[in-house]
Amino acid sequence: MIAPRELTVNAGALATELEGLGGRLMMMFAADGPGDGGRELRAIVRSGDGVVVVRAPLRGKSYPSVTPRVPAAHWFEREIHDLFGNVPEGHPRLEPLVRHAPEEREVRFPEEDDARLEHRGAQRLAGPGVFVIPYGPVRSGVFETAQFLVQTGGEDVAYCAQRLFFKRRGAERRICEVPVDQAVLVAERVSGTSSIAHALAYSHAVESLADTEVPPRAQAIRRILAELERLYNHVEVTVRECEDASLSVAQAQFAALKERLHRLAGATVGNRYLRGAVVPGGTRIDLDGGAVELVDSTLAEWERDWRRVLAVLLRTDSFLDRLVSTGPLAHEDALDFGCVGPVARGSGVDVDARRDLPYDGYPALEVARHTDGDAMARMEVRFQEVETSLELIREAAGSLARGTVRTAPGPFTRDAALGASESTRGETLYWLEAGGDASIKFCKLRAASFMNFGVFNRVFDAQVLTDFSFIEHSLGLSPAGCDA
Amino acid sequence: MIRWFLRGVTRPRLTTRYPRSEEPPPPAFRARALLDPEVVDRDSATRLADVCLPSALTVDGEGRLRLDAGLCIGCGLCADAAEGKGVTLDPGYELAVRSRQRLVVGNGGAREADVSAATLAGPFRRSLHIRHVDTGSDGAVEQEIAALMNPYYDMHRLGLFFTATPRHADVLLVTGPVTRPMEAPLLRTYEAMPEPRVVVAAGTDACSGGIWTAPEVLGGVDRVLAVDVYIPGDPPSPIALLHGLLLAAGRVREASAPVVGGAGMVPTEHAGDAA
Repeated sequence: MIAPRELTVNAGALATELEGLGGRLMMMFAADGPGDGGRELRAIVRSGDGVVVVRAPLRGKSYPSVTPRVPAAHWFEREIHDLFGNVPEGHPRLEPLVRHAPEEREVRFPEEDDARLEHRGAQRLAGPGVFVIPYGPVRSGVFETAQFLVQTGGEDVAYCAQRLFFKRRGAERRICEVPVDQAVLVAERVSGTSSIAHALAYSHAVESLADTEVPPRAQAIRRILAELERLYNHVEVTVRECEDASLSVAQAQFAALKERLHRLAGATVGNRYLRGAVVPGGTRIDLDGGAVELVDSTLAEWERDWRRVLAVLLRTDSFLDRLVSTGPLAHEDALDFGCVGPVARGSGVDVDARRDLPYDGYPALEVARHTDGDAMARMEVRFQEVETSLELIREAAGSLARGTVRTAPGPFTRDAALGASESTRGETLYWLEAGGDASIKFCKLRAASFMNFGVFNRVFDAQVLTDFSFIEHSLGLSPAGCDA
Repeated sequence: MIRWFLRGVTRPRLTTRYPRSEEPPPPAFRARALLDPEVVDRDSATRLADVCLPSALTVDGEGRLRLDAGLCIGCGLCADAAEGKGVTLDPGYELAVRSRQRLVVGNGGAREADVSAATLAGPFRRSLHIRHVDTGSDGAVEQEIAALMNPYYDMHRLGLFFTATPRHADVLLVTGPVTRPMEAPLLRTYEAMPEPRVVVAAGTDACSGGIWTAPEVLGGVDRVLAVDVYIPGDPPSPIALLHGLLLAAGRVREASAPVVGGAGMVPTEHAGDAA
């Protein structure tokens, strides 16, 4: 359970306070203050060993922007501006983020986008032969919806801007509308490939609100499912990178490995994406002896085959050549913009919610890290995490305690709580506020991809057009999670 | 490269023979709920409808339970509450139908399929080119669609191909509820397709809007375009997607209504693999 320290400052001093706290900005949003106090800004920061919630009551329509001092606030402040109209004075790029204006329902043409590229002035090219490729929202191939505006003179990428939030489905509001036990089903569908991570982060917040202890057996089952989810998502990234490198045999073999994990999920949980397994207070399913045996034997065989195919891949020059030095993310950028997950760890940032915000009985964890910051570093992190996940599943399956798998959460004893989990893509957060009668009156969720999409335009230095898909896939992003 | 070549030619065949032979789901698979409307009394009906997040289960004016499998996310909460009386879970893979009404059991549902929807039977029967559009999915359906190209399903053996441009496409495969920003791109993609063309809604979200009710979501794909094939499922499994795509080509029969007892699949017309 996360027990944050609380601070209240005046909105004018928020930027100074956050800069002074240092650490990493985890999330920031606007919400109703206590009583009739009106709206306030909340920033949640990981500082030193703890979590700090900074409240800043708003006294007018505007406040001094935090972004110039804490760059990680850039999208949060634009989101607050879109949804509530509060103006962060001095924000370097205050234009719509989550809200698509009616005129934007049309696919926009490059000329109209030029003005939007201004905020990185020095990098913007002008002159004959320079043009913008609007890639998306409907893209070639089977991809999730997102739009990338790539400015180029033909080969080198001069600039790349990302536009998200085509897929906003109002998950936060939906969570507040339905009973607590059913809302976990909404959380599972925020990012459908990280169902377990979102269900866990949401459930952790509810358990914290109600001060519920999850039975040890349920904790072990949760770890097994969470790591199984991590496995298939890491393999998915590998499949995509092989596809980009035109290695069709490698693509087919990694895709087959991924399919085996989904079949295991379908056979044990009844859903190929592990939905309907995690509930606040524990799990809805129990893994009997047969299921544990199936997990063990399937993964033992899986691990052998994974290692064999991976060994060949890591000796394939045409794969390595495309990833090494591609899409570099500077350590400073990863820190400044609050990146999480393999994207941050590939650039040397030491962050992992499983260790930093411990939950569900995870044992001490060696966090995989690389310092190169390129696509290959991110892949190396993933390959190491596959090993760790297999080890964690073995450990959890071997230590399944007897007993129940669920303690039903009682009435809420806290007003607000933060729940966290480490999805495949990184730290996932749910901030919940209790309403009357065991309901939730406010929910703010932050998927890992919300943070990592924010640096998309910073990994194209000295890159060429043909690197685009390698870079995109190496970041392993989920537009659905980002857009929520 | 020789290592990949050797790995490629020395692996055993993994590929399913579906639809020529059946591909059974695991017994505990939760594809959708099945209803036995006669069994449930008014109180139980209300209790079951209350646990259903997307309101797939509702109670009509006469106190009878009604199931809309186009909204069902297969969570199984109703089956847990029903304890075997009135609602059970269907592990079936083949769920695709040609009309929205066919997914509804109880008041307002059509017992007979009103098959007016278009299929591409005839000249396109043996080869379809598919253009996918994501209008707000949760991201899992895309991965299940991508799985159709893995060695287990290998949709190319059935003459099914993805195409990058709508100009070459026969099928528009839509995933996700339609969000406001995606309405125009969806329509423009559709308008760019040559005729004849069919629209396939893949996944519960696309069939009905699923659990999403916010004003930024318009609802199912049929709020924007006439849908010819509905593939419910959250997400639909690769076999369910194959079944739906083959249904669009007129090569298999549609799924039975989601009722207890009537769950036995209508036998598929074994069209065989395309060359």
